[in-house]
Amino acid sequence: MTGPLPPRLERELRSVVGADHVITDPDRLMVYESDGLTAYRVAPRAVVLPASTEEVSEVVRLLHGADIEIVPRGAGTGLSGGALPTPDGVIVGTARMNKILSIDAADRLALVQPGVVNARLTEATRPHGLYYAPDPSSQSTCTLGGNVAENSGGPHCLKYGVTSRYVTGLTVVMAGGEVVRLGGAGHEASGELDLVGLFVGSEGCFGIATEIEVRLLPLTEGVRTLLGIFDTMEAAGHAVTSIIGSGLMPAAVEIIDKATIEAVEASIFAAGYPTDAGAALVIEFDGTEAGLDADADRAERCCLREGAREVRRASSETERAALWKGRKKAFGAMGRIAPDLLVQDATVPRTRLPEVLAEISRIGERYGLKIANVFHAGDGNLHPNLLFDRTDAEELARVEKASHEIMSLCVAVGGTITGEHGVGVDKRGYMGLVHDEVELDMLRRVRRVFDPGGLFNPGKVVPDAVDAGALPEVSEVAS
Amino acid sequence: MAQAYEAQRERLLPCVHCGFCLPACPTYNRLGDEADSPRGRLHLMGAVVEGRLDPASDAFQTHIDRCLGCRACEPVCPSGVEYGALLELARATATEARPPGVLTRGLLALMGRPLLRKPFLLSGRILRATGLAALATRVIPSRGPLASVRLALAMLDATRPWSPEAAEGRRTSESRAVPRRDRALSPGDAPPNRGRVGVMLGCVQAGLYSRVNEATVRTLEANGYEVVTVAGQDCCGALHAHAGRLDGARALAENNIVAFERAGVDFIAANAAGCGAAMKDYDVLFEADAAMSARAAASSERVRDVTELLASAGPRPGAEVRLSVAYDHPCHLLHAQGVSGPPISVLEAVPGVEVRVIVDADECCGGAGIYGLTHPDLGARIGGDKVAAVRAASAQVACTANPGCMMQIGAGLRLEGSSQAVVHPVEVLDESYRRAGFYH
Repeated sequence: MTGPLPPRLERELRSVVGADHVITDPDRLMVYESDGLTAYRVAPRAVVLPASTEEVSEVVRLLHGADIEIVPRGAGTGLSGGALPTPDGVIVGTARMNKILSIDAADRLALVQPGVVNARLTEATRPHGLYYAPDPSSQSTCTLGGNVAENSGGPHCLKYGVTSRYVTGLTVVMAGGEVVRLGGAGHEASGELDLVGLFVGSEGCFGIATEIEVRLLPLTEGVRTLLGIFDTMEAAGHAVTSIIGSGLMPAAVEIIDKATIEAVEASIFAAGYPTDAGAALVIEFDGTEAGLDADADRAERCCLREGAREVRRASSETERAALWKGRKKAFGAMGRIAPDLLVQDATVPRTRLPEVLAEISRIGERYGLKIANVFHAGDGNLHPNLLFDRTDAEELARVEKASHEIMSLCVAVGGTITGEHGVGVDKRGYMGLVHDEVELDMLRRVRRVFDPGGLFNPGKVVPDAVDAGALPEVSEVAS
Repeated sequence: MAQAYEAQRERLLPCVHCGFCLPACPTYNRLGDEADSPRGRLHLMGAVVEGRLDPASDAFQTHIDRCLGCRACEPVCPSGVEYGALLELARATATEARPPGVLTRGLLALMGRPLLRKPFLLSGRILRATGLAALATRVIPSRGPLASVRLALAMLDATRPWSPEAAEGRRTSESRAVPRRDRALSPGDAPPNRGRVGVMLGCVQAGLYSRVNEATVRTLEANGYEVVTVAGQDCCGALHAHAGRLDGARALAENNIVAFERAGVDFIAANAAGCGAAMKDYDVLFEADAAMSARAAASSERVRDVTELLASAGPRPGAEVRLSVAYDHPCHLLHAQGVSGPPISVLEAVPGVEVRVIVDADECCGGAGIYGLTHPDLGARIGGDKVAAVRAASAQVACTANPGCMMQIGAGLRLEGSSQAVVHPVEVLDESYRRAGFYH
């Protein structure tokens, strides 16, 4: 069912969260029609912005009672359409739940609400000598709730791992409005089933996390950041293989191609990447001071051996920050070279990077599309940015075809369809490339354990079964 | 209208919906509704341009109006979306579809016409000097129909001159007789000639903060600038542009461009961040006007904040003023002009001054013209957070470089019962020079 909410339900929702925090005016709802992936646009029936676990629980109970779909949303920065509304659903946003509830420096834990911006947690814990390790490139704006939903990564996940390694406990509002606590300090080693691990990365399909307990790390003592400049992407790709193959353990290895360098250098986040270069690598080592210089020297030799034109080293925190800013703001900076972009996300075995990059560039040529590459080379996590103009329907169709070919290519060389952005709606169609029907059915069943009615973020992640009869027996699970 | 849409369409293209602007926005941070974020407002602007949304709709009117115009979203935007220019175009679209409220219309009518403005500001000075403004803020209840009047009078009372000795915690002993338009005479070697400067006197600044204009002239001269009087200048037009009255803004801007051209100055010094930002954007205001665009661009090139001119000259040190200063960045200096260091350099040049940049100094104070009067609840929340940050710095004076912010923070302090002075950086430098005997 689409259209306005039943008046009584709307009144009840307003009485729970406050009249101003329920949005039903279709003009205002337009603002929520996309997340970070603008190729899709669907306006929701309403947006509800609760401020506490209790309010979320009550809101979910009401919506569940009316059999209305629920699409959770953080800052709406996701790149796979995970927070894309459904036409008959209601968005439950976490923007007002933006408090850091506690920081336990001795146990290196923090308890936060889901709307806390990723980078703010590190800002708040730095005075305690601690930080939160997962650092998505959107960390200055994306929220921890969204990070939990997407199991987000980031450049430094090469050494430190993704979100799931840091979430130790969750308070979750389930489909009927029930509040459950999963994990929590001290439960990690207890040997019970890892429900926290199951929930992280569930893309809003299992429930809404309303409190998140995360592990913090001590600030690293030293850091070395290098910028390797190459004439070709291929040479840069070989350098990555050589660095990792040499046994080094960099904290991050990021690759930036010519088109991205041009976009970044035209932006206010210009990092001083040479605009005539074919590719650049940002390589970082961190840890105790002793040995860092030796590691950096070895990485430099790897780059030079693979044909680097030059290897620079950041000599101050300001220089280091500038190098990273250029990388982290690259997605937004693409607006300087095209009105729309689709950021793909796939993973391939590191050793196959050079050939995959060459093939992606051929795919771009074949479809007459500009493709900019900026990604986490160290763990083979590709992010081809397909640039286009949304108002050109024919071009959009070419983007979809090229996207599909890139995904098939990555899977064919032994990779998979997502590294860190999640499946959302964008990559749901590619799930068949990596999962057979038995596995897909298993995913559907797991989802129904948490959400028997299928009201949480429907249409995301798992494609509907070809044969509806193959769906699990909903009534059976629900009862 | 078609032309305004075209100008918006071009400027909207770079936005890729990445959302990096969300946490920079004071209204989004407090309300949590993406329609009150820069990305959301840009989306609404796009919908109007695409013909999907009526500019007279509540959605467009409310959310475009609720923007503070602080432009904190610009420095965090990787795509370089010109949000400030877009907001003015959107406001023009919005006001054409639905005229603004009586308060906004009245203020624009007053500020745009010197014949009305001068008596209005004079009556303000009388209310201030007689102490009626201060008295009224104490007797008018904080809630109820007169709350806006109370806020306006508190803003007025906040413009009263400060006493440096009182701020330092000393009794006033020496005579404070600084002649009104004293010329700075430097003892010893005269500073090198750094160029010819005309000072933008402003409307509110000239009416309520003439002492800041006087301090501007004296400190510039003490640092080797030749300051000339520029006749024929008017309000900068920022209030009009922010309200979407772009034609009104252009008329005022043209007067200023002509006046400063005639004065033959190397630099136009602004001591109100809002005026400086508007004048640096005159090139954008006239971009579609073939006859004026080159002159407007040349004028924009010459505009400097007074602290930029002073900082590039050092500024030369004066005598000790023992003050702790809580500094807050004006949005139109920090975000719109990208000027953060110079005001602090000016303060730090004074021996004895300890600068404490307040927490969240990069966030808007909620002043934003008459935002506190047009949006009392949200304005008070944003202003309340700012006043709390100023008080947490436990400094002797508060300091910022824009009259609107000085009034907003000063009013907030007064309404909380604090009598802490709010000063412009050049006032502190001026006091230091006065004590050093530069003006005798």
